[in-house]
Amino acid sequence: MRLQIPLLITFLAGVFMAVQFFVPHDLGVTAYTELLNWGRIIGAFALVLGIHSLLRTHLEKIRRRRHDWPYSMVAIVSFVFMVVIGIGFGSDPGSAFDWLFNYVQVPLDATMFALLAFFIASAAFRTFRARSTEATLLLVAAIVVMLGRVPGSLLVLFGQTGVGEWLHSTMPDVSEWIMNFPSVAAKRGIIFGVALGSIATALRIMLGIERSHLGGGGGGE
Amino acid sequence: MNTLRLGIVGLLLLAAPVCIAQTRLPSSVQAEDDPEEPQGIQMIVTWRPPDEPLQVDGLQAVGQRVFFRKMGEAQWRLGPVVPLDATTAPVGGLKPWPWPRWEIGVSLEYQIPGAAGEMLTVMGRPSTIAPLPEAIVGPVRPVGAWFKPEYTAVLVLGVLVCAIVLITLYTTRGRAEQVYIRPIAGLEAVNDAIGRATEMGKPIVYVSGLSGIGDIATIAAMLILGHLSRRSAAYETEILVPCQDPLVMTTEREIVRQAYTEAGKPDAYKPDNIFYVTDSQFGYVAAVDGLMMREKPAAAFYMGYFFAEALILAETGNQTGAIQIAGTDADTQLPFFITACDYTLMGEELYAASAYLSRQPLLVAQLRGQDIAKVIISAVMIAGVIAATYAVLTTGAAADLANAFVQWFMTE
Repeated sequence: MRLQIPLLITFLAGVFMAVQFFVPHDLGVTAYTELLNWGRIIGAFALVLGIHSLLRTHLEKIRRRRHDWPYSMVAIVSFVFMVVIGIGFGSDPGSAFDWLFNYVQVPLDATMFALLAFFIASAAFRTFRARSTEATLLLVAAIVVMLGRVPGSLLVLFGQTGVGEWLHSTMPDVSEWIMNFPSVAAKRGIIFGVALGSIATALRIMLGIERSHLGGGGGGE
Repeated sequence: MNTLRLGIVGLLLLAAPVCIAQTRLPSSVQAEDDPEEPQGIQMIVTWRPPDEPLQVDGLQAVGQRVFFRKMGEAQWRLGPVVPLDATTAPVGGLKPWPWPRWEIGVSLEYQIPGAAGEMLTVMGRPSTIAPLPEAIVGPVRPVGAWFKPEYTAVLVLGVLVCAIVLITLYTTRGRAEQVYIRPIAGLEAVNDAIGRATEMGKPIVYVSGLSGIGDIATIAAMLILGHLSRRSAAYETEILVPCQDPLVMTTEREIVRQAYTEAGKPDAYKPDNIFYVTDSQFGYVAAVDGLMMREKPAAAFYMGYFFAEALILAETGNQTGAIQIAGTDADTQLPFFITACDYTLMGEELYAASAYLSRQPLLVAQLRGQDIAKVIISAVMIAGVIAATYAVLTTGAAADLANAFVQWFMTE
């Protein structure tokens, strides 16, 4: 029963979700919205477990004086501070919580995001080496796309000569063609496989063929 | 003075239904289901507008108001206001279930002309006369649709794929060991990665994407985690799973705990190794990057759905020297993983991983069914391309048929 009941619930929920996709009636829409609300409520309770895990992990690290434990102290102090400010003084626009969010968390997020530019450069440097035919094709395509996106650079490179003017007018179209045809064709192929894989995965979970998430030994028999 | 004026207005409104002539208010109200609205919460109301709107002292008729209420309710609910000469209006919010019957009425809407010519509301809200019995229709009920006809092709193809997968599954499961599975380098390397971590005595980091538990990619990632942790448990290799979603964390704890139990090492299971970090995208990235720089894991797995953080994670892992295996169905992030990771599972390989790693007969048979469905749908796509080209290049009955074939697959 410990296995059968979750499998039955999974099957019924899966069938309902598949059916409601095709049913525009308000009954289906309301039931779908209601299920989403249930999910949010469960998520809110799970957040308590998440916070427990967060505090436990960092407190344990501080207690055992593990490597870089002061960072855990910063994490816990920040967490408690934001909770106190948020619950004590509200989170309306203009509040202290709002100020901390806008002027501490958002810049910190932006800082992490900005690292992406440097990582793209280092990854591109490693990848765009003409070590094989495929890598060479990738390199050429990348150069064409990059120059096509910044056509003014061609005028800087070649000057206002015939070649420079021709490249300046042609390269954006070639770049667009690469992005719109070979690139999209490859993407569509991947998306096509993903769609079929999603259906098959959903089917085997709904039918209980795959039950490793329920502790059934990886599915199968 | 203002209170007195409003009091007079109120008295006039109360007296108005008694002393009016029918021809000066909307009449002949009819309602029918809105065929353009499939949810079944809207009706189209039609009526005859007043020839000359009823005059009320101190007020000016500014439009016609549609009302609706459930049969038996005393209070009218406010519907839309339309111009004085309008003859029809849609009325929404008529929930068709649990199958109530509705009354719909139409009346006039008044406002007080201000000194500067502007229109003022009465008591802070528009003033109106309740509909007369002659201007009420009911009981009526909107009719919702039970199927989206524009999704017929999706339904047919979905059923076809499911049928192919299921039929193949039950015809092949007895001889699943004979089914050829294309070697997937990324999955072949899983054992190497675990072996490397065991030899080096360093942990494995497993990231199951930044999508929620409702995403099929996250579920696929959790299935792979089950297989991975079963093998790492056998060697007592530590596996660290930082989570971005508390629901995913809870589920993954159960999966890993079960894997350790099945591997006969329940005591080696450490729930604290599967921990919640934050739901903030870049906060999570900072935490995982920090973890990798501190712990210097021997192997890092990135499975599931990823956004802009994919390259930041993979490049950091690359700098630590970990063997990296990624798998995602996010086509925008695949190039980053291919660039920075040693092995990458592309798209459907992520979903095939569970069958590949477990080699369970039913799962392998299902993979075969999936491939057969792929071949059939590819054939339909090629037929569609030929039909579309033919329909453009030629005319006549055959071209119309080809065009109809293509159009049948079109969805909004």
